[in-house]
Amino acid sequence: MRTTVIVTALGLDSHGLLAQVATTIAEQDANVDDVSQTVANGMFTMIMFVSFDETETTMSSLKAALEATGERIGLQISVQHENIFKFMHRI
Amino acid sequence: MVFITEQEILETVGMIRSENLDVRAVTMGISLFDCSDRDPHRAAERIHAKIVQRAGRLVKVADEIEEKYGIPIVNKRVSLTPIAQVVGGDDPAAYVEVAHALDAAAEEIGIDFVGGFSAMVQKGFTRGDAALIEAIPEAISSTQRVCSSVNVASTRAGINMDAVVRMADVIKALSRLTAANDSIGCAKLVVFCNVPEDNPFMAGALHGSGEPEVSVNVAISGPGVVRNVVEHHPEASLIELADLIKRTTFKITRVGELVAREASQMLHAQMGIIDLSLAPTPAVGDSIAEILMSMGLEQVGAPGTTAALALLNDAVKKGGTMATSSTGGLSGAFIPVSEDAAMAKAAADGALSIEKLEAMTAVCSLGLDMIVVPGDIPSNSLAGMIADVMAIGMINSKTTGARLIPAYGKKVGEWVKLGGLFGEAPVMAVSQAGNDAFLRRGGRIPAPLQSLTN
Repeated sequence: MRTTVIVTALGLDSHGLLAQVATTIAEQDANVDDVSQTVANGMFTMIMFVSFDETETTMSSLKAALEATGERIGLQISVQHENIFKFMHRI
Repeated sequence: MVFITEQEILETVGMIRSENLDVRAVTMGISLFDCSDRDPHRAAERIHAKIVQRAGRLVKVADEIEEKYGIPIVNKRVSLTPIAQVVGGDDPAAYVEVAHALDAAAEEIGIDFVGGFSAMVQKGFTRGDAALIEAIPEAISSTQRVCSSVNVASTRAGINMDAVVRMADVIKALSRLTAANDSIGCAKLVVFCNVPEDNPFMAGALHGSGEPEVSVNVAISGPGVVRNVVEHHPEASLIELADLIKRTTFKITRVGELVAREASQMLHAQMGIIDLSLAPTPAVGDSIAEILMSMGLEQVGAPGTTAALALLNDAVKKGGTMATSSTGGLSGAFIPVSEDAAMAKAAADGALSIEKLEAMTAVCSLGLDMIVVPGDIPSNSLAGMIADVMAIGMINSKTTGARLIPAYGKKVGEWVKLGGLFGEAPVMAVSQAGNDAFLRRGGRIPAPLQSLTN
């Protein structure tokens, strides 16, 4: 069964941020299902829907890899299972 | 397919990253009725074994959920059938031995606290109740993770004033025995009226006799999230403010519901309750007092504080109850002085008195909670304070509790550092007027008219 997580990245804008996050996800063998990105007043905001199954990667491995990338390129990156967003705002 | 908007995603992430949103506690309730034994030593062994067997995976499961959803789960705890109902006899030393077994089990499975070193004495004492209460000072002062509570009153039974007086002596003894650590033992002991049987918060958590074999109860948190919403709407009318708070606590509670469902499934336990309490921590921004200040009070304790708290507490419940059908526990805003930095500051500045806190108790959750009083307070003054809080609970058919800390050797105005989530607070002044003749009468304050509901 595929797991879908939502990756959010926030921080000061610079060149190539989306590419570096996407590269880390590809290296983890996970798939980017959807992405949206904006820059407002120099602040970079990106939301990615990422999916994987157990043969590809794990939550903890993906999370560790993305957090390391975030630290390197100056972004706060969160990786959370989609259910928390589905659950929080609606019944 | 549930559609999630970008705004909702960023709001959730912001709540966790910037506003201290967390799940305050996942508490596993375990029935100990099958651990009873005539031999207290054997009972202690069986209790230890059952806690380790049933809650052995609690911390691991909570950590997995934390990683999966990116929501911190601050405390992992176990609540138990009140020990006085499980272990019989009249030897206090046997109860101390049981407390050590609880502590050892808690350490073994890596949880923060274990609650249920408790007795229900609202109508009178069994031999076991009396022995357990006598054992509390030694049991709590010689363990790290054991929490104790004693229910001395209820709307149905009235107030057992003999128990109130006895508990004041127990608190004083515990204060003495833990004097080296600013009397911290008293932070692990609550005196209750109408104790809930499914409360996930310490120090008062226990697993009541009507509860299932094993359950998972979840305590939400989120004062920082609520404060942020209030602060960003300075022009909102009170009706609009109540709506904003309801919307926010709905979201916070949904997270609690998700965690409770998942944790109970993973632990093969029945899903218990979601406790809708807003619980502060000493961290800046994680404060009930700051919510009230954002509503427009200069400091907590200002005239209007009780009204503001009533609005907050009611809106929290209304928002939360839409989000889950499993409400329970204490479910109300907490006002612990030492655990809420802005509350402690208001006390130190003279803006907040014990009498005002007592009034606030009438409209919110726990009661006189984490209040530091002079170490040399007469036992009867302490008993009178407890009785007053119990009376508010009894008459209003609600839970109230007293967690009072006579700081050994300290005077009014001196600060006491309890550490960690217990925080720090100034010693507060208590009326010096006497009450000896009233307390000497003994016996029970009868159940009020409100008890006759059938």
